[in-house]
Amino acid sequence: MDVSLFINEMRDPAGVPFYPVVFQGLYVLTWALHALFVYLAIGAMGVSIYGGLKQKGDAQWKQITSHLLMTGKIAVSVLIVLGVAPLLFSQTIYDAGWYVTNALSGAWVFTFIYALVFGYMMYYWYQAANKKGATSSTLIGVISFVFLVFCGVLMHNFSYESISPDKWMEWYAPDGVVDNSGWNFHVDTVRLLFMGAMTLPVVGVFMQVYAKFLSSRSDFSAEYLSFVAVVGKKIALIGFSVATLLFMAWMYKAGYVVHPLTVGAVVLYILSAYVSIGDKNAYVTATLLVVAILVVSAIRELIRYDIMSKVGYDLYGYPLNIDWSSTVLFILTFGVLGLTGFAFILAMAWKVGKSEGVFDGQKDVLVSKLANYSLMLFSAWIVAFFGWGMITLFKNTL
Amino acid sequence: MDLLGFYPLFYVPEFGSAWLMGITGVIHILASHTSVGAALLFAFLAYKAQKENRTDLYDYMKKYGMFLLIFSYVIGSITGPGIWYTATAASPRGISALIHNFVWVWASEWVFFVYEVMGVFALIYFMDKIDKKTHLKLTYTFAIASVGTLALIIGIISFMMWPGTEAYYVTGSSSDAFFGLNTFPHMFLRIGFMIMLSGIIGMIISSAMKKENPELSAELTRKLGWVSFIGSFVTVFFFVWYVETLPENAKVLLGMVKDSIIQNRILLAVIFSIYFIFAIVKPKWINTPIAVTMMLIISIVGVWPGEKLRETMRKPWVAGQYMYSNQTIGRDVPGKGIKEETTRLAEHGMLKLNPWIPEHLRTITPENRLEVGKLLTRIACSNCHSLEKDGKYRPLIPLAGPMGEEGIKDYMKNVIGTGASQYMPQIALPDAEYDAMAAYIAEQAK
Repeated sequence: MDVSLFINEMRDPAGVPFYPVVFQGLYVLTWALHALFVYLAIGAMGVSIYGGLKQKGDAQWKQITSHLLMTGKIAVSVLIVLGVAPLLFSQTIYDAGWYVTNALSGAWVFTFIYALVFGYMMYYWYQAANKKGATSSTLIGVISFVFLVFCGVLMHNFSYESISPDKWMEWYAPDGVVDNSGWNFHVDTVRLLFMGAMTLPVVGVFMQVYAKFLSSRSDFSAEYLSFVAVVGKKIALIGFSVATLLFMAWMYKAGYVVHPLTVGAVVLYILSAYVSIGDKNAYVTATLLVVAILVVSAIRELIRYDIMSKVGYDLYGYPLNIDWSSTVLFILTFGVLGLTGFAFILAMAWKVGKSEGVFDGQKDVLVSKLANYSLMLFSAWIVAFFGWGMITLFKNTL
Repeated sequence: MDLLGFYPLFYVPEFGSAWLMGITGVIHILASHTSVGAALLFAFLAYKAQKENRTDLYDYMKKYGMFLLIFSYVIGSITGPGIWYTATAASPRGISALIHNFVWVWASEWVFFVYEVMGVFALIYFMDKIDKKTHLKLTYTFAIASVGTLALIIGIISFMMWPGTEAYYVTGSSSDAFFGLNTFPHMFLRIGFMIMLSGIIGMIISSAMKKENPELSAELTRKLGWVSFIGSFVTVFFFVWYVETLPENAKVLLGMVKDSIIQNRILLAVIFSIYFIFAIVKPKWINTPIAVTMMLIISIVGVWPGEKLRETMRKPWVAGQYMYSNQTIGRDVPGKGIKEETTRLAEHGMLKLNPWIPEHLRTITPENRLEVGKLLTRIACSNCHSLEKDGKYRPLIPLAGPMGEEGIKDYMKNVIGTGASQYMPQIALPDAEYDAMAAYIAEQAK
């Protein structure tokens, strides 16, 4: 049966609790953040494996390898938690694509979870082995790297399947024989290669930012920081070239090569590369790169929207059941408590990173205020939660 | 004719796809519950350390924190979305129902998750790099954020059991769905369990410190014994209240397994009470192998049956007592404009209304009868039963096979088809589809 005959029937009968365009915007934003940390994690890990081979007798490689390992380790945790949001928003407005994919590739979904657990645990082991100077550390790192990249490929498979509605029926019941095994696996090679190539400019620019950030500290030598910046620049330059070419190839294949967003993304890549090569300001390079990833996220969403619209999916006509109570809950939790809390930890992390001894947050006006506000808001949130719950329960039961 | 919004079916032979969810769920519960309990424990220890200027407590927190990073923030934070993924594959419309009722609640929970992940790294790695007062504030907010994640998920999983009152069906409001009768008892039951678990796991770390610092090891093991004891008391107390707030269908199912559950819980209570008393009175007797063994016991004998029971008691529903476990909507929810689907299925049949049926199977012929029967049985029954003769998950063939083809059809039509079973979804279908299913099941039983 042609999917266009029933794709709108697969929208959840409960409707959506707010305007679909808002979820779409949040999806674009959170996917970009998630992707940024995916690129950083894989890139940092890749360079750390190279560094692991070079570090014997080379103090500079030894130091940057251990720091990249820590960066990658934290980045994996952050990418996982950030990845929850696009997953959530995607299945709210594109439930058809998401749920069909999960059923078509159910066995891979299960594999993905445990491959990620294994790969990430190996990463911890890799870090510990590297710290001890174990000879097996590179091998452990490579195994971890392979597993984490494999997870990335699986995730790409899920994304690609979810935007291939014209093939769903053929994949589910090839030649009319239903296949419930969940072993469907399909990739778009060019798109996948582009996603992989993005790890290079991200880790390269990160190394430049690292060098700039630590340049104010006397316990890091200028020679070492210059070494890191130069290696970062080389990686970024190669990365920008390869990623831009692959991006153009992907856009050409998808039919968006002359789209303003594509042009915008390419201009941003070139600008980032220009600032990176000129050693102008690593913070500016990083900002441009983040904006570029945001634009790529928007194009990615545009491609999905167009594909789904072509088979009759009416995203903006999704039945609306506005739910003010939970909408307000999210706005306040994210906009007030979340942003204050994130600002507290990020400000503290920035200042700890800049300090050579123990950082006294009590004496720092910004950190001290953010810590107090965060504590106050978190406490108030819990009180409000119980108040809201009790009022609702009394209203419905008494 | 309008089709119904079914999805393709994912099926794991022998075990059933729901088992995958169960395995991931149990692992996640251990890791996530430890995380929340440990966050509360950290707040207590950090307060004590700061007030009494006890640097040795920071050493312990660091060690526990490193363990937590791997246990809760690798295994736990991956298996969290993991449950979601596997549940999506096993029960897409069930998860969709939850998502579309609670997307903003989940998004709010995500805010706490992000804070927790950023916070745990800061808490552990900045321990020696920031002043103690700022660290204490961080620890407090981290603990509240952890409790926040529980507070926000608990209403959703309680809604899976039931909304608690009729209000949700009328208003469709997420707060009426979220704050049902059993939301708070369920929350405190889990908080108790989390506290207990943080103590049980904390003893693994404290007992491992015996050689380097025997006094501290004994002091912490003793304290953790108390923590676990209090946690277990809270758990038992709220479990009793929780049971009282269950819907009738759950109580019926609970009644069927009550004796074995009570035996299991009494046995666990006795074993762990003895363990906690030893930890308090003779902390030096607790060594790492014993502590690890106790953690495994609580996982295998405590968590797994507990979660299996919760899943069983929910039957025949998976969400809000309107979505059946076999992905059919079983009742109207006027507040959301949701219409039940069993009447239309009874009239037109699954073969006509499910868009994922291959064209050549939409009409039953003598040649395709068994193939149609197999597909219909998978769609209607595989969420709760494995369909192989020696299947591991409530195997259908040994249960239904002995009834014979006519008996199976009769049972399906007059018991399951009318909704008379309290724990099975109403599967109302045209006669020809019952015939095909009965023929297939009887054939498998031969």
